[in-house]
Amino acid sequence: MTKKTIIGAILATALATTLATAQDYPTKSVDYIIPFGPGGESDVTARFQQSYFKDKFGQDLVVSYKPGGGGAVGWSQLNGMAGDGHTIMGINLPHIIVKPEQGDVGFKTDDITAIYMFHYTPDAIVVNAESDFQSLQDLIDYAKANPRKTTFSGSGKGTANHLAQVIFDGLADINTTYVSFQGTGAAVTALLGDQVVAEWGYTTVGATQGDKVRMLAVAMEERHPAFPDVPTFRELGFDMVSGAYRGIAVPKSTPEDVRMKLSDMIREINADPAFRKQMLDGGFALSEVGYGEEMDAFMAAKSKEYIAAAKSAGVID
Amino acid sequence: MLEHLMSAFSPLNIFLALLGVAAGTIIGSIPGLTATMAVAVLVPITFSMQPDSALILMGAIYTGAIYGGAYAAILLNTPGTPSAIATTFDGYPMAKRGDGDLAISLACLASVFGGLVGALALLLLAPPLADAALAFGPVEYFWLAVFGLSLIAALSEGEFLKGVIAACFGLLLAMIGISETSAEVRFTFGSNTLLGGIEVVSALIGLYCIPVLIDLVATPDRHLNPAETQRGFRLVEAVATMLKNKWNVLRSSLIGTFVGALPGAGGSIAGLVAYSEARRSSKTPADYGKGEPGGVIATESANNATVGGGFIPTLVLGIPGTPPDAVILGALLVQGVRTGPTLFSDGANIVYTFIFGLLLATILMLPVGLLIGRFAYGAIVRAPKSALVPIVAFMTVIGSFAIRNSLSDVGIMIVLGIIGWIASKRGFSVSPIVLGLILGRIAEQGFVQGWTIGDALGDLWGQFFGRPLSLIIIAMTLLTFIYPFMPQLKALVSKSAAGEKRQSVRASGGAVARDVISFGVFGLVAAVAIYQSGSLNAEAAVFPRTIAIGMVVFIAIAFIRLILTRDVKELPSPGSVTRRVSVPVIMMAAVLLIPVLGFGLAGALMGLALIAAAQYERLKAKPMLILAVSVVVVIFLFSFGFKDILGVPLPGGMF
Repeated sequence: MTKKTIIGAILATALATTLATAQDYPTKSVDYIIPFGPGGESDVTARFQQSYFKDKFGQDLVVSYKPGGGGAVGWSQLNGMAGDGHTIMGINLPHIIVKPEQGDVGFKTDDITAIYMFHYTPDAIVVNAESDFQSLQDLIDYAKANPRKTTFSGSGKGTANHLAQVIFDGLADINTTYVSFQGTGAAVTALLGDQVVAEWGYTTVGATQGDKVRMLAVAMEERHPAFPDVPTFRELGFDMVSGAYRGIAVPKSTPEDVRMKLSDMIREINADPAFRKQMLDGGFALSEVGYGEEMDAFMAAKSKEYIAAAKSAGVID
Repeated sequence: MLEHLMSAFSPLNIFLALLGVAAGTIIGSIPGLTATMAVAVLVPITFSMQPDSALILMGAIYTGAIYGGAYAAILLNTPGTPSAIATTFDGYPMAKRGDGDLAISLACLASVFGGLVGALALLLLAPPLADAALAFGPVEYFWLAVFGLSLIAALSEGEFLKGVIAACFGLLLAMIGISETSAEVRFTFGSNTLLGGIEVVSALIGLYCIPVLIDLVATPDRHLNPAETQRGFRLVEAVATMLKNKWNVLRSSLIGTFVGALPGAGGSIAGLVAYSEARRSSKTPADYGKGEPGGVIATESANNATVGGGFIPTLVLGIPGTPPDAVILGALLVQGVRTGPTLFSDGANIVYTFIFGLLLATILMLPVGLLIGRFAYGAIVRAPKSALVPIVAFMTVIGSFAIRNSLSDVGIMIVLGIIGWIASKRGFSVSPIVLGLILGRIAEQGFVQGWTIGDALGDLWGQFFGRPLSLIIIAMTLLTFIYPFMPQLKALVSKSAAGEKRQSVRASGGAVARDVISFGVFGLVAAVAIYQSGSLNAEAAVFPRTIAIGMVVFIAIAFIRLILTRDVKELPSPGSVTRRVSVPVIMMAAVLLIPVLGFGLAGALMGLALIAAAQYERLKAKPMLILAVSVVVVIFLFSFGFKDILGVPLPGGMF
């Protein structure tokens, strides 16, 4: 193997990648990397997309996991992967905004080429169905009477759950204690076992746990269609619309037209009525932020919001 | 009920269960291919299937993979899945002395029994067991992890202090990376590779398997003692041993079922707890760790019981009990099956069909497992060393890559293997390091969460020592901890036996110096951890700092003891230094070549180099060619299987 042939091979590969235009994309199965373990919200929604992708675009969407560092392991390696659109990765807000501010986690928010934010899980306060808290006011009264002793479980630090706790403490003028668990499943387990007073979770918890839990309020603009009886924080006088957004990103080297095509493809899946129903039944809320200016504006607005919240939470300096 | 039984036993489902168990067993036997991965690969295939058939296939693969983990544990001292860690403790010594076939048959019988107990518990007791699991709070998880750690007293065979130091080292390794409870970046030394922490499965492969490979090439001796005569499955002997261990099997299966039902605990802890209890209640605890069949039986029945047990919170609470359950839960959601409290009460057919399918798969595992086990045993025992070493080495490389698709994990695996090899020669056994690594994160999370809650309530003492469940686990921990010292304690009481128990030979100056150096290295690790903890926030620092300070204290005690007694335990390491050093060097070189040459080609080159390292007699051209070609073919087949069947994105290299 001479040097010449190696260089030739490199050039050939490079040429082949540029020649592959967006028109034929996808030409083979697409690797969809979830930078978390299985079973979480990112995994479940990826599995939802999987069958629609195959039906609509004729290629397999292969889900794999690359957990570690609360997503940082995957995101720090994203730009080193092949940029032909056949490798995509799940991304989460506020993670990709807050994590790089906490220290060197191997990537910066700007390194990530976000293509589409396809859904979000609105923050919600969840209590055990057997508890005495019937309304949000009950819980606030309890928290006022028992400062610090009102414990909330939640998934991770510097996450949507954690930031929601800090913001709401400020809005309601209460002082509660946040206990960080690894993932929503563990946080719910702690709630069901009465290890904590309440949970900062998502609307999805209400969907999976059914009548075992009671949601006291959801941080949405309007009530979630699956839970018409649960009020929004706004209705109750707390200006709070928040949650965790999830989407898809590609390596930086992915050509512009492939990015556009992929964005349109995800939008098409999102528009499918069966998919929408599956997502809403699961307690998710859809979001439509596609590649281009709308994504840039969205990321800029969210960065400002989350960083301010993370600063007051003491998660970043 | 009967209709569910009938629909579970349709010809298609029986076929799927059979296929699933066989495929799972094979996948689980390869180190690095975990049950989680096996199930995850299947998910898209199941979309086009009936939900019940899909579930049966996934359940069968899962249960087969947990059993298959025993093969590598017994025959190569390498847990194929983390659940099989404690299987190595006695399984490998059994194989070494020529009882590998018996160990494998025992593992199969115990797995089937444990699997049945777990599945029956799922069928009959799921809702109450799920409620019981919820009583486990953060503090109980902390104490459960401590209970698991108490096994080091038993595992370090008289070298108790060295065992504790090794466990502290393992605990500190577990702290590397972004902390889950506090989101702080810790002990990464600026490396992005370490952000996600040390991957447990690849660490296991390195710590257990690399030392075996290094020792294999050191001498021309055979890997395992072959049986003198053809002995078949040794089924009669195995059944007799099982009957002798009937309480052990039952207890271990129940432990496995319950620990499996604890979300987030999983098979590795179940196996360790069951092993620890089996040893404690045995009449001959000293035999454990030296090839006692009871050890294999305890672990294997417990880890297969976690399959059924793990489905309890998955189906009843909608919270996955183990990582493979999490994958299955996701697949269920896609199928439109909503798990959770209503699933059982609504009498959802699919659940009962699934449970009967799981029972069916477990029963099918008996013939399938015995046959595949027989084959695996034969292949490993008969394989010439110069074929075994390159192929196993390639399996460790590709297996530790596949877990997170990361070459860095392969590098870490090899480095840990070298550390494990050196440490074990110095009397620090590998198992305490592994226990620390596995239990460290669970212990830390439980501790920090318990601390946060206790601090908020203003009752730290009550949180850690006032809960009844915690007290039970603490009591069990103390018993396990003290038990191995009973002979010494008795000896202290009756003075007559005191002197003869341990005749310490005063070691040479060189040996003492080598021990001083190893204490120094571990002391340095602890010092770095203490120093770096200074710049972390309180939540992230408290656990590693406490461990590191404890480690320093134990090192100081061990040092004083060394000076006073000059008692040094070294394992002899005979054989060729060049050959031994060449193993990790060749593997490391292959890791560096993979991005350039691709997995298959770099692997094949590594295989050829390792043949040279492991081959002693000179071979004629023809057998040499056959050997080389078959090794290369197997390596290519593995690469193909991983890339095209399991969908692992192997780096293709430039060619």
